[in-house]
Amino acid sequence: MKISLHWLKNYIDLDLTVEELAHEMTMLGLEIEAIERPGDEITGVYIGEILEINPHPDADKIVVCKTNVGGDEPVQICCGAKNMKVGDRVPTAIVGATLPGGFEIARRKMRGVESQGMMCAASELGLDGDSEGLLILDDTYEIGADAKPLLGLDDVIMEIEVTPNRGDWASMIGVARELAARFNKALHIPDVSFVESAPAIDEVTSVTVEDDARCPRYMGRLLRNVKVGPSPQWLSRYLVAAGQRPINNIVDITNFVLLETGHPLHAFDFDKLKESRVVVRTATKGESMETLDGEKRTLKKSMLVIADATTPQCIAGVMGGTLSETSDDTVTIFLESAVFDPISVRKTSRALKLISESSQRFQRGADPEMAAYALDRAAALMQELAGAEIAEGVIDHYPSPVEARVVTLNYSRTADLLGVEIPHEEQVKHLESLGFIVTTQDENSVTVSVPLRRNDVSMEADLIEEVGRLHGFNNIPVTIPHIAGTERIYAPVENRLRAFRRFLVGLGLYEAYSWTFSNETLVKNAGLDEAYLNMVKLENPLSEKQATMRSSLIPNLLASAAHNLNRGTAGLAIFELGPTYLADEEQETGASQQNKLAIVLSGPITTKHWSRNQHEQDIFDLKGYVEAIANYFDTEFKFEAEDYPTFQPGQSATIKKRKHTLGFFGKVRQSLLKNWELNQDVYILEMELDSLVTHATPTKGFEAIPGFPAANRDLAVVVEANAPVNELIDTISRSGGNLLKSVEVFDIYTGKPIESGKKSVAFNLIFQSEERTLTEKDTQKSFDKILKQLENKHTATLR
Amino acid sequence: MKAELEALQVEALEAIQTTGDLNTLEEHRVNFLGRKGRVTDILRGVSQLSVEERPLMGQAANAVKVVICEALDARKAELTVVAEAAQAESEAVDLSLPGRTPRKGHMHVINQVTDEILQIFGDLGFQTATGPDIETEYYNFDCLNTPKEHPARDSHDTFFVKPGTVLRTHTSPVQMRVMEKFQPPVAVVIPGRVYRVDYDATHSPMFYQFEGLLVDKGITFADLRGTLMHFIHRMFGKDIEVRFRPHFFPFTEPSAEVDILWKAKDRHTGEMKSQWLEILGCGMVHPEVFKHAGYDYEQYNGFAFGMGVDRIAMVKHGINSIHHLYENDVRFLEQF
Repeated sequence: MKISLHWLKNYIDLDLTVEELAHEMTMLGLEIEAIERPGDEITGVYIGEILEINPHPDADKIVVCKTNVGGDEPVQICCGAKNMKVGDRVPTAIVGATLPGGFEIARRKMRGVESQGMMCAASELGLDGDSEGLLILDDTYEIGADAKPLLGLDDVIMEIEVTPNRGDWASMIGVARELAARFNKALHIPDVSFVESAPAIDEVTSVTVEDDARCPRYMGRLLRNVKVGPSPQWLSRYLVAAGQRPINNIVDITNFVLLETGHPLHAFDFDKLKESRVVVRTATKGESMETLDGEKRTLKKSMLVIADATTPQCIAGVMGGTLSETSDDTVTIFLESAVFDPISVRKTSRALKLISESSQRFQRGADPEMAAYALDRAAALMQELAGAEIAEGVIDHYPSPVEARVVTLNYSRTADLLGVEIPHEEQVKHLESLGFIVTTQDENSVTVSVPLRRNDVSMEADLIEEVGRLHGFNNIPVTIPHIAGTERIYAPVENRLRAFRRFLVGLGLYEAYSWTFSNETLVKNAGLDEAYLNMVKLENPLSEKQATMRSSLIPNLLASAAHNLNRGTAGLAIFELGPTYLADEEQETGASQQNKLAIVLSGPITTKHWSRNQHEQDIFDLKGYVEAIANYFDTEFKFEAEDYPTFQPGQSATIKKRKHTLGFFGKVRQSLLKNWELNQDVYILEMELDSLVTHATPTKGFEAIPGFPAANRDLAVVVEANAPVNELIDTISRSGGNLLKSVEVFDIYTGKPIESGKKSVAFNLIFQSEERTLTEKDTQKSFDKILKQLENKHTATLR
Repeated sequence: MKAELEALQVEALEAIQTTGDLNTLEEHRVNFLGRKGRVTDILRGVSQLSVEERPLMGQAANAVKVVICEALDARKAELTVVAEAAQAESEAVDLSLPGRTPRKGHMHVINQVTDEILQIFGDLGFQTATGPDIETEYYNFDCLNTPKEHPARDSHDTFFVKPGTVLRTHTSPVQMRVMEKFQPPVAVVIPGRVYRVDYDATHSPMFYQFEGLLVDKGITFADLRGTLMHFIHRMFGKDIEVRFRPHFFPFTEPSAEVDILWKAKDRHTGEMKSQWLEILGCGMVHPEVFKHAGYDYEQYNGFAFGMGVDRIAMVKHGINSIHHLYENDVRFLEQF
């Protein structure tokens, strides 16, 4: 809501600078979102009176005026506007003046005629209004006076955020009331007085409320012989300051009173109401109406409307209709001031996707007392500004008047909750300053009656907040709580995942962090199977691209790889660790969540270096990360070659821990690369982590450090070219005996002199004893045994 | 024998002086002073001499041994210097060439900041808790004193999975999940992804929150202030100015938002500017929330707070757009 300081000062005397005021409002909970000074740059603009309008000797579209701006001599101004006549008063910028945007007015010649200033249109002063013609002012503006204060150009507009609990703040009086409480100042609520004349309202019209629950109070007044016309300057100015567009005096008054009191009103053109009566009822099936914004609205049975004898005229608390809209021809007005149920208004507003000043206020809860004041305030203004004759009496349907809530505050609870001792009398003073009325009081507690406008206050904690707020949150001490120790670990999995993430970073990987959305196309483009299409779908996604929750990390990482490789990055090694989701009817939410890890590698990640060749990452780099992960979790993974649509045939494997499949990795299938705009080989891995992190890795036992040196032996054999090396290693490990500690492959060779269709594989064997230093003889025995097994099982020959 | 000794000394000294490398020098040492060396031989022969001659010749032989020994040491020192110089010259490197830098990994800035926040609250005694991203409407709203049609739901534009199931709009549902499971004292911090239907220059539909909850006997708003001041001073520096201003959240009463007076260089003018920046929301746990948790409001007080980790990271590192955080551009990732 926009608060004009000029306007605000009608209700409270303030002697603070704008900065101080903004600070105090902020500290009361009225968050300032922006401070605007719309006329800040304007200088040298005065009220001028046009004395002469003469044609320009050399230009058809320009006239030469003489304007009195209060000086000894009138100034000569060339002007292109058409809407003025001699005797009009207009804001006039003289030579040396500045206008919004820093635009400076200089003496200059227009087609040979000197112009000594500029007469201004509203828009040229940053005011809302016609930009075609000059801003014509009435005779109350004194000639030669500084136009800035008169036009409100020295006003300051504060835009505040009104929290959902404080509907009462969405008004000038509401804000003034809060400041009055803060500074112990008087709140000036404008007096309302007007003259009523016959006939009485209930002789002319009637109101029937069919739904008291949704319309607990309905008030109305009848105003006759209104003269619809423009609003006076002050009224238009306030509305413009509040961000509204002046329309006519009747509409403007209802808007003004809405902003002043926070209570929405509606003015019906009474002569358009069939049978001259008002019915508050729910819409019937198939009913529709055109609202003031020009949209045709189809109504639902659940919506409350204000109708005449036959037709809905207004969607209760949301927006009026065009059928009974006030126009220049309106003579008689039925002015409504009602209280509607917040939930009903909110539902209707949401169902119609129609949010208005009115609906926003009603859905926070309206004050039935303010309804009465706002009605009379608007009626009085209509009498004053539009010559309205006010029919005697008021319609007031209020079958069960709302009773004020009564809440007790135990003084000691204030200190319990806030951590500061505030004297009892000060606590009471704070509450009273906000309009709470003390009903009973003793040495331990005070009981207050809560003003109806404060529907946010219903219990002790609410009163404590009010006391704390006026005491000042920043005047409450600062203490560090003692947190009682507990052996509870609430999220062991999260703790382990965070440690694991640090490990992956330590391997030199970069961590990606993607949106967790996905869609079916992405899953298919990644070659993932049916199981991954069992996704959690969103009812209201941002777009079809984010229609589901991701079932795999692979699509996001492929997209990230493409993003980077297409922007000049030669290679990358990225991981993402996070949740994936699958539809799961067994869960209350219909979804299950699983933590996964994905790694994507492509190209070289070392820079070109003077001392070595650049290494293009390949599938063995990826497998190496998986082996490091197994090592991290102190476990062993098995790799089983297995084809999968995501990967090049023969270049992928599943990762297993015992019999459980954790995931897979491989080289991305060439035919899929184009789906992702990828132009180079990409290697990707995905594996689930939950089974690895659900339980802590067992505590490691100490193994004695060997006291005797190890013996190294190399063994090279020639085998079939397609023989899997891990099977050779298995054979060696099994036949090597107790002394064999490790087997590493250190060379693979094909080509001469090795026979074609064969390969040479060289192993480094390490033998060690815990009892003695091994001799050649000791190792030879194992060596021979190994060789024999290799010969038998793999038709290997010693090279 | 004496003459023999003298001749030996002359020969030895000359040989030592003319030797150009350490290996030959070692051969000389063995030749003259080794176990079977020539001086050693003479010394061994002394025992064959008469009783009168023995001490004289013994002394003379020893004196020659000492002289040769010293000459060897001196020459060894000289040759060592020469040898080192020669080696150094042959191994000369250009140290202005770049080294072979091990690759440094980069944790995403969101997780770095989260780890830092977890560390700070961990030091105070808070433990990490987590909950699911896909949440029931009950945990996300209802039990947090935000029933259907509550206007506070307006600021939580919600993704729905099905009626009654949402993508959580904040990490607060985990508060209730923890309280339902555990009795006070409870001191938890909750990091996690959250979702809102909001996508523009300053909003991402998925972002990252951090939540805290402390429930025990005698917990006050002053404790909340102290805890958060401690956090802010560790996160942003101990001189930073902090203010608490009243606000509204349905699940806390009283509620506040916390601003810091943040100084940053203006991107265009380069001027240092300070500005109040909202960084978190907080308050004392609402009695209605305790009621849902089955906690006794008369016996326990609690406070809760929540912040956007994205926002903290952006403020701290001067990141100018939230969208950098989720694009995975390596030029962004490797900055942190």
